[in-house]
Amino acid sequence: MARVRKGLVAVSLCALAATACAKTDEPGAAQSPGQQQGPVKIGISLPLTGDFSEPGKGIQEGYQVWADRVNAKGGLLGRKVELIFRDDASDPNRVSSDYESLITQDKVNLVFGPFSSRLVIPAAKVAESYDMVFVEPAGAAAEVFEQGFTRLFYAAPAVAGDHYNYLADYLTKLPADQRPKTAAYASLDDPFAQGTAYGLRDKLTAAGIKTVVDEVYPPETTDFSPIAAKIAAAKPDLVVGGTQFEDSVGLVRALQELKVQPKLAAFSTGPTLAEFPGAVKGAAEHILSPVGWSATASFTGNQEMVKRYKELFGGEANEDAANGYTVGQIIEAAVTAVKCVDPVKECQDKLAGHIRQSTFDTVVGPLSFDDKGRPEQAHMIQQYVDGKVEIVLPEQARTADLVYPKREW
Amino acid sequence: MVSLLLQGLALGVLTGGLYALLASGLSLYFGVMRVVMVAHPAFLFLAAYLTYTVHTTFGVDPFLALPVTVPLFFALGVAVQRLLIARLAPENLAMMSVLLTFGIALTIEGLLGTVYTGSYKSVSMEYATRSLSVGGVHLPYDKIIAFWVAALTLAVLFAVLVKSRFGQALRATIQHREAARLVGVPTERVAGYGFGVGLATAAVGGTVLALITPFFPASHWVWIGKLMAIIVVGGLGSVVGAALAAILLGVVEGLVLVTVDATWATMMFYVFLFLALLVRPQGLFGGRLAHRF
Amino acid sequence: MRIASRGLPLLVAALAIAYPWLVPNYYLVYAGALTVMYAAMSTSWNLLGGFTGYVSLGHSAFFGLGAYGTGLLVVRLGVPWVVALLVSAVLVTVFAVGVGIAAVRVRGASFVIVSIALVSMMNLVVQGWRSLTGGSTGLQVPSPFPGLHRGETHMVFFYLFLALLAVALLCWWHVSRSRFGAGLRAIREDEDKAESLGVPTGAYKVAAFALSALFVALAGGLYAVWFGSLDPIFVFSILIGSYMVLMSLLGGVRHLYGPLLGALIVAPAGEYFLIALGETQIHLTATGLVLVLVVLFMPDGILARLTRRRPGPSIPDETADQRLQKVTP
Repeated sequence: MARVRKGLVAVSLCALAATACAKTDEPGAAQSPGQQQGPVKIGISLPLTGDFSEPGKGIQEGYQVWADRVNAKGGLLGRKVELIFRDDASDPNRVSSDYESLITQDKVNLVFGPFSSRLVIPAAKVAESYDMVFVEPAGAAAEVFEQGFTRLFYAAPAVAGDHYNYLADYLTKLPADQRPKTAAYASLDDPFAQGTAYGLRDKLTAAGIKTVVDEVYPPETTDFSPIAAKIAAAKPDLVVGGTQFEDSVGLVRALQELKVQPKLAAFSTGPTLAEFPGAVKGAAEHILSPVGWSATASFTGNQEMVKRYKELFGGEANEDAANGYTVGQIIEAAVTAVKCVDPVKECQDKLAGHIRQSTFDTVVGPLSFDDKGRPEQAHMIQQYVDGKVEIVLPEQARTADLVYPKREW
Repeated sequence: MVSLLLQGLALGVLTGGLYALLASGLSLYFGVMRVVMVAHPAFLFLAAYLTYTVHTTFGVDPFLALPVTVPLFFALGVAVQRLLIARLAPENLAMMSVLLTFGIALTIEGLLGTVYTGSYKSVSMEYATRSLSVGGVHLPYDKIIAFWVAALTLAVLFAVLVKSRFGQALRATIQHREAARLVGVPTERVAGYGFGVGLATAAVGGTVLALITPFFPASHWVWIGKLMAIIVVGGLGSVVGAALAAILLGVVEGLVLVTVDATWATMMFYVFLFLALLVRPQGLFGGRLAHRF
Repeated sequence: MRIASRGLPLLVAALAIAYPWLVPNYYLVYAGALTVMYAAMSTSWNLLGGFTGYVSLGHSAFFGLGAYGTGLLVVRLGVPWVVALLVSAVLVTVFAVGVGIAAVRVRGASFVIVSIALVSMMNLVVQGWRSLTGGSTGLQVPSPFPGLHRGETHMVFFYLFLALLAVALLCWWHVSRSRFGAGLRAIREDEDKAESLGVPTGAYKVAAFALSALFVALAGGLYAVWFGSLDPIFVFSILIGSYMVLMSLLGGVRHLYGPLLGALIVAPAGEYFLIALGETQIHLTATGLVLVLVVLFMPDGILARLTRRRPGPSIPDETADQRLQKVTP
């Protein structure tokens, strides 16, 4: 027994001496030449289950469409792209754990961002501390950009608080007798969803439109009747939902049941998804929504993405998929420009530097970033008109006129 | 303000009816086996998903799933009791059964997530967005249907418990297992059937849930806390107590929802739970045995 | 054999101390630190569960409170992190005494329900109290060692958690040899008899509850400064609480090293399942099935199997029902 133990101790001591401090993933550690060969591995953690699985899936599809296209035309710098997905179950601890293992164990060349502002911050912390560039499709909340990240970029036209800017402009410029007087806000307890609704609220309040209901509900809420009852009692001219998908459907259904008929209704995210009109059974007519992407736009690669999406997944592409695809486009352009794709500081520094200085042609339009990684463009406003999604704001992108007041649902 | 409160009250009563159905199964399990079945909500959502499958594949009314799910769940319930719960050592049955059923809940959640993916599913019928208006109070049709289905199922359950021979044996088992055995009640088999009946109520409850709310595999967690609070407030093991506590908490929740917010409304369940434990540990209707478990 | 039973823990300890230097990458250091954290927490859970037989599924409430307490003291009041850690652990312990007084009034199933409710309540409070905790946005705690890079931070916290584990083990060992421990065991075997024999069961249960909350809160506090981002939904998760239970049961609740052994199996297995089966939710099913199997076939844990000590109460305590089962055919 004693001899066995001695042996073990000896073995472990040898191992200790041989490997002490020699972590292969020491930041700045030289990469072995073998690393240059093989596919370009891209690590991604997404909420494929849990509260955010719906948009998580959209983004996953966007990434896949992008990888499919890149591989079809020969890959990144001549190497195939391989996406490695992990499920974080909408859990911030998992998201860190995922990126930690993707970067240090799988030794991925690049990482793409996860979904939801809640998960972006812990994920970006990991990426930042391993010097990885972190382009993300869904962390639009103001807090994301206040953490001092230097390698984080948000691949969409605008941050959460600015999503409704065009609508706020439109409403505040209406003649006084047509302007809504009161507004009700209901928002999911989530930094992004709340950010959108509160961005609009702050601008409308400043313009003298009174807030009559201001509700926040936790993510697990499935019964929206009581919130609708509060809104019904206040009879607002304007109903704004800071929503994701399922709660936007729940809210619209509950508002219908309680016969709330506002002059204008706007919901974030939900109405931009293809399932929305079916889920609310015809009540979609004239609902407004900020949208960073349009299926009909002629931006670089957009039509190709829409087509390829249909081939791969059979349905219509949505904004989440487009945001995922945009991340791919930005990275693709940056990698092609700086001609390296290694998970080492010099290369990732070059990538980050390039992204910070350049403007990228993407499916959501030309994108550029400020020094905190915030995009500097704006969201369009879409509306269901005669059952079709039309862009109604701003003027230059308009495909139909904004209908106000809306039809009863 | 008054109309808002009335609205909250009406919604609360309707939701409370559903809570009563969902909690009745839990009370049954506890009655026959002194077991807290944490997996009950997971089975509810299993039933909801099956309903969804039947509805989307065959395009039929969700309630037509019941002839399939109710017998299936009855059999599942008997199997869970005979094959799993009955194998546990009696000296720490209460604790171990919680862990066992917790494991079952995780298993179901994982399977649902694998088969149906993690995204939300919902069954929405034509009547889902219409409502009945009575004096300024709007009663959504889907909630009314949920309420009546729950009430009907509970009525059938009570009738079975009170009138039938099986019901008598079941109640005897609940009241005094050993005495029941002495007078010739096959308590093991009865306990199995009791579980079957409990899970059959989950089949009905799941269909109703599918009708009124979107769901995803992890939805059951929210319901564990709520339903547990209801059966403790009602008195562990008392089906009637659970039903009354369900209506009470449904109303409290509805009123708090329309006057304060969702966080406080959910909090009310736990506030009542702790109050019940401090003031009356056996619950509103629990017998002397309840506080020992 | 005697040397082996003494030597083995020493060898394990030596290996544990060497571990961060033996593994090839920082992810494994991170996973190791997480495993040791779970080991410390389940050992701490076992101070209540193992001695008294009261199964709490809600110990993540203390984990979360410890984490948020430490995080808030650091972020809002600028307290040094070590002070914040200790102060918040003490506060959580005081809170646990309060909760314990209400919770241990009930036994068995009701106690489990109360423990589940506690987690949900704390989650609601922390999530709802935006102005203090940041609500769903979460709380960002600055790293206590800004000079170190991430991998080195993992190393530091690996040893901190290891120290916590050592203290928790020492505490369990000490209690198990004390009068207090004997009283707690008496509660597990038969609470009413213990009470009639003069064991102050109420006070003992509350003390055990608070003591086990203390170490879990310390683990939570360390987690807060290590991890840096707190999100109420995660830290107040029933899953964390159930892991503590699963680890303790799997290893053996009546043994000093039971929870540690359980953690060494469950935590790496959980990480492995997640990576191997990460694209679907089948890893939940795997966890669930393991729990079911352990409860059904190994309720006394691996160590009880290995040491072949007879499980169960020293004096068989049959119910009339059991006796009946023997006579009826």
